Amino acid sequence: MNGIPPRAAAVLAGDHRMAGRLITIAEAGDTDIEPELGVLYRAGGSSRIIGITGPPGAGKSTFLDCLISRLRSLKRRIAVLAIDPSSPLSGGAVLGDRVRMQRHAEDRGIFIRSMAARGALGGLAHAAGDAVTILDAMAFDDIIIETVGVGQSETDILGLADIVILMQTAHGGDGIQSVKAGILEIADIIVVNKADTVGTDRMIRTLQEMVAHRIQTAAGWDTPVLPTEATNGAGIDAVLDAIDAFYRCRGANREATMQRDRRRMRARILTLAQAALRHRINILTEPSLLAAIDAVISRVMEPREALKLLVFPANS
Amino acid sequence: MTVRCLLGMLGTDVHSKGIRTLAQVLRDAGIEVIYLGEHNSVAGMVRAVIDEDADIIGLSFSSAAYLEYIRQFVTAMRENGVGSVPLMIGGLIHPDDHLPLQEMGISGIFGPGSRMDAIIDFVRNKGGSLQ
Repeated sequence: MNGIPPRAAAVLAGDHRMAGRLITIAEAGDTDIEPELGVLYRAGGSSRIIGITGPPGAGKSTFLDCLISRLRSLKRRIAVLAIDPSSPLSGGAVLGDRVRMQRHAEDRGIFIRSMAARGALGGLAHAAGDAVTILDAMAFDDIIIETVGVGQSETDILGLADIVILMQTAHGGDGIQSVKAGILEIADIIVVNKADTVGTDRMIRTLQEMVAHRIQTAAGWDTPVLPTEATNGAGIDAVLDAIDAFYRCRGANREATMQRDRRRMRARILTLAQAALRHRINILTEPSLLAAIDAVISRVMEPREALKLLVFPANS
Repeated sequence: MTVRCLLGMLGTDVHSKGIRTLAQVLRDAGIEVIYLGEHNSVAGMVRAVIDEDADIIGLSFSSAAYLEYIRQFVTAMRENGVGSVPLMIGGLIHPDDHLPLQEMGISGIFGPGSRMDAIIDFVRNKGGSLQ
């Protein structure tokens, strides 16, 4: 492998330790792995990238554990990226998603990585995209991303996953909640978990009506609403079938899939752009930043003028 | 750089109060805790150290079998190329066992009466040492 950086070569050879290391470096925002990411991104593209999102306590990790078992019984190699929130006060975190996946701990066909959101607000972590690049290059059959527990507007998963599974429960709110903009709009599959709860049937019907009257998430695809009990595996096979059906639909509608991929990549690049701009402003030499801030405070300058001066100096 | 600390318990030990308290204290000190909970196997925990690229590991014991578990764990760490990740031990650790633990390379032993700030300092210093 001539000219391939050794660390990228190790990842391509399936080295979990090096993959873990590179994800840590990406999390630190260290740009010295850009050559590796360049190589790994070009080597990737074969994995299915499945997003699981939903409110805290809906059962995402338990559902994921169940999904992993079924996919492993089909001999598929699985990578998991499980994201939990960072403390807004200390910056620390307790990443507890592995507890639910403990029965897979010794399985060498699985890579599980916990990530703290580290201030990212869209349900993911800033380095989630780089982590997917690294895992995709290792040719896992499925990369499953579990977002932080989300509310209504954390939809960054759309920029990373091929397919978005939204977990709900019977306690997810009434009919008005279901027609609001945001997370419900992006769900390719809706799962109503804890289906033994009273009110599940009503929730399923409400969501089915909502789905029937909205724009399709992908051409030719009607978002199914499926009940599950992740603690005992009931309903999981129907979700697996729906995932397969979604990928068949993707394959059958080339033009629509291309459009969706373009929208997704646009979102991913925009996320990177936001991070880069923030970084660029943060590393500005203190005097120029301070001068601009003071100019805005004293109303010599309007905030947008300061932005132009700081970020696009050549044009102002 | 943010320190990532893996915390867990091996075997049949169910006394998780201490390690859960520690997880929260470390979180409040700005540490990212990868929490594995109880009932882990040696092999499973070593895989977690690898995939998670942990900077430091903390194991808690309230059962008598800890010397044997720690010996197996240290061996498995070394065999899997992660022998250099610092390891700390907490819980009901008898003073008589400090010497054999130190001989196995365990530098952080936090038995009954340990101070939280001493554990936080240890995690910050040792956890930052590999980076």
